[in-house]
Amino acid sequence: MSRSYSIGGLTCGGGNRSGAAFRAVAAERVFPAEWSARRPLRLLTIGIVLVALGVPSALRAAKDLPELFAERVKSCVTVEFLIETELDRQPVTVLGTCVDSNGTIILPASAIGARVSVRQLKDFKVYRPDHATAYAAEYLGQDVLTGWHFVRAEAAVRAELVPLTAWVRRNTPDPCMADEVWSIGLRGKDEDFHPYFLMSRVGLIQPLPQMTAVAASEIGGPGLPVFNRAGALVGLTLNSFGQNFLLFSRRDRGLPVVLVNSDESSVFLFARDVLPYLGRIPRDVSGRPLPWLGTFGLEPVDPEVARFLHIENQSALVVSEVLENSPAEKAGLKGHDIIVSFDGKPLPRLRPEQVVETYLEREVDRHFPGDVLALTVLRDNRRLDLKVTLGEEPKIIREASRRYFERIGLTVREFLYGDGIARRVKIADQKGVIVDFVKPNSPAAVGELAGDDWIREIDGREVRTYADAVDALAAIEADPNRAEFVLLTSRGNETAVRRVKLK
Amino acid sequence: MSAGFDRLLEAVVRIDVRDVTFEPGARRFVAGVGSGVILSNDGLVLTNAHVASPYAVEISITLPSLESVGAKLVGWDHWTDLALIRIDLDEVRRRGLTFQPATFGDSGALFPGETVFAVGTPYGLTRTVTRGIISNNRRYFEDSEGVRGYETGTFNTWLQTDAAINPGNSGGPLVTEDGEVVGINSRGFVGADNLGFAIPSSIARRVVDELLAHGSVTRSYIGIVPRTLQNLEHFYALALNTGMLINSVDPGSPAAAAGLRSGDILLAIDGQKVDGRFPEQLPPIQNMIASLPVGSTVKLSVKRGAQAMEVPVVTEKLESRMGEEWAFDKWGLSVRKVSRTYARENQLDDDTGVIVIGVQPGFPAAVAGLASGDVITRVDQQPLKALDDLKRIYQAFDAKPSSLLLSTTRDRRVSLYVLKP
Repeated sequence: MSRSYSIGGLTCGGGNRSGAAFRAVAAERVFPAEWSARRPLRLLTIGIVLVALGVPSALRAAKDLPELFAERVKSCVTVEFLIETELDRQPVTVLGTCVDSNGTIILPASAIGARVSVRQLKDFKVYRPDHATAYAAEYLGQDVLTGWHFVRAEAAVRAELVPLTAWVRRNTPDPCMADEVWSIGLRGKDEDFHPYFLMSRVGLIQPLPQMTAVAASEIGGPGLPVFNRAGALVGLTLNSFGQNFLLFSRRDRGLPVVLVNSDESSVFLFARDVLPYLGRIPRDVSGRPLPWLGTFGLEPVDPEVARFLHIENQSALVVSEVLENSPAEKAGLKGHDIIVSFDGKPLPRLRPEQVVETYLEREVDRHFPGDVLALTVLRDNRRLDLKVTLGEEPKIIREASRRYFERIGLTVREFLYGDGIARRVKIADQKGVIVDFVKPNSPAAVGELAGDDWIREIDGREVRTYADAVDALAAIEADPNRAEFVLLTSRGNETAVRRVKLK
Repeated sequence: MSAGFDRLLEAVVRIDVRDVTFEPGARRFVAGVGSGVILSNDGLVLTNAHVASPYAVEISITLPSLESVGAKLVGWDHWTDLALIRIDLDEVRRRGLTFQPATFGDSGALFPGETVFAVGTPYGLTRTVTRGIISNNRRYFEDSEGVRGYETGTFNTWLQTDAAINPGNSGGPLVTEDGEVVGINSRGFVGADNLGFAIPSSIARRVVDELLAHGSVTRSYIGIVPRTLQNLEHFYALALNTGMLINSVDPGSPAAAAGLRSGDILLAIDGQKVDGRFPEQLPPIQNMIASLPVGSTVKLSVKRGAQAMEVPVVTEKLESRMGEEWAFDKWGLSVRKVSRTYARENQLDDDTGVIVIGVQPGFPAAVAGLASGDVITRVDQQPLKALDDLKRIYQAFDAKPSSLLLSTTRDRRVSLYVLKP
């Protein structure tokens, strides 16, 4: 059952480190692709026509919406930046929402991939809707709990931005099914980020585990505030979920495809799962501290298994592996243990089942290293109460030291704790370096090196540390007479000798 | 053509096999057609392991006289893709049938360009003769799942021919103009024109002796994966045509236990020098190791950096990555035992458990959520060591059905499922 829900590459906002992916079941409709692409323009046209003809009295009830829209657009920005890689610069454009009077802006978790190092991020710029002026901005880091990236706009533009907290209205109820909700879309740079209006009704509400609503159609650009009919803040749009379509063409008779609207979204997080976290601006750009439990593979149990284990009306997570030297290991957790409660609360039954894994990750992420939490597990039909002291997560991939060797066409990075997990290598044996990048058609590529190869020896000499590898490769790179060198590398379960010819 | 060739035609048979297959989550049967060559007057027939195997539940042989007669498997060896079957002699006598054996030639004397003929049953077309030449007499070809998912080609080189070889030719002889059998036709490149492979008769003769005596070929294993030294001699400071590169060492293997490592150079086996410069040279070296008695100590001369070492290694019995297969019909579940080799390849802790190879929609296993590729490691929290354990659990379930809790591993992730009656 569980497998049918995951679609590679589509992540549901929130937890940046969770691989959980969900499909919006209620939002499956079929439109001609052409229609949705043209829609903003058409809306614009309708607007102009209405103005020209004079609005019929039946529609006059909507007269406040343009005013509400004009004010609330001031919370929305477009953020541009570059991700600098060995060979090129990738421009990235995302939407963001201003959260305070200091020009702080939050961007969705998906704006920056988990492998991208902070050092690769360059040239942050902020644009206001309908304005072509670029304002400089600073990257502040990613928050572990919400996944949001925080950016701060330069002082010159701050007075023009209105934080979304300005639209909080006391006693605003949570959105309900069939409620009208609206947000804002922003056109591209060539149209000066011109804002447009999108509105729909709530179709589905589900805890994933944060309260999430899916509207019947797109309501705004991803990462922007959502309002009710009265203009009160009710949420923040997430990346849109994938929708199932069948593709008919000359060659394909009903090929199943998943389409994701990357410009607009019909999914939003409730304001009550947004507002409490706006202050989580990282202390420094690393985003640390990162609380750490140290388990690998938490698999939810289905209702049948829950019944079998006599834990009805709740969920549970099977621990696949307990990581070496982790807080979980120190707490006495073992592989095959079934976690039934965490921090004194039974794991809730959520749908789809794998959402409970995100739930547990978030429970960990709302704490700090050093916090002591209660954990109850089932082991061999017995209930065991454990106490775990959360640790600080070992260095993650975006923090790793890396070095690019232009002539060889190779970037190596230090061997991380996570590399040891992926390769099942004990800490004591974690030597060598990892191939981070191979330049196409370079000597390294011709020598059949590939990303994630584990380099263990260079020219017959064991690589103990990252510094060892950098020294050895730098010496090779600097020697114009060097014709070739030999690496011992591991890939998957296989170790191989690879020869890199430099001339 | 020649009297010898005419005699040969009288020794080629069609083989119809009905195999059991476990893949769909149930015990099913599939039929196949192949070829074979009669070896002796007492009814031994040589064919391919991918034609006749322990999966065969019924083997029928069509003699050159077009009369059909039953046969039984004597033994198989997927590593060389050879199998030996025996014609039901009682039936032959009862019905007064006759046949005659083929004559074997020396595959070592073949030269590229020499004319050869393939005789067999391509696409069921009995007694088809095709003509070609020896395209290469020492082709290296290895496939880790080439014979019904079993390994093949590690210990032998192949004859390559452009005599047309199609599905159904498998197991038929490759012969000279005199009708002497020099190879057993086994496989062709899919999508290519006339790139056919045959097992040399010199290999076949040795395998036949073993199969006749023991029903199988026992080989030794030490766990080194070789690679050609081609152009790496300079780096390792070796004279040309000296040694073989140990590319990797299987974790937990005898070679690993003896301290051998990737990048070591194997110079000699029990004092006998090896030369692994080119791919064609690797199978004979592998075969030297495989031919050692199981459990014996072999002395490997190894060079590591500037250092030369003598490393004693105790051989183990070679095992396939394919374990025994079985279907639990009422569960709609078919499984394969996790072998040591499979566990090693997939970085499992040990060979505990069975791999799900098929589930039938709507049956208890599928309803519980099991899928192909899951490894069932525990039943009711007890580790599943052997396939027989699961067979016993199934019998108990069959007699008195009650829910079972299964633990599975897939991509290292542990899941639980309830199998309900």
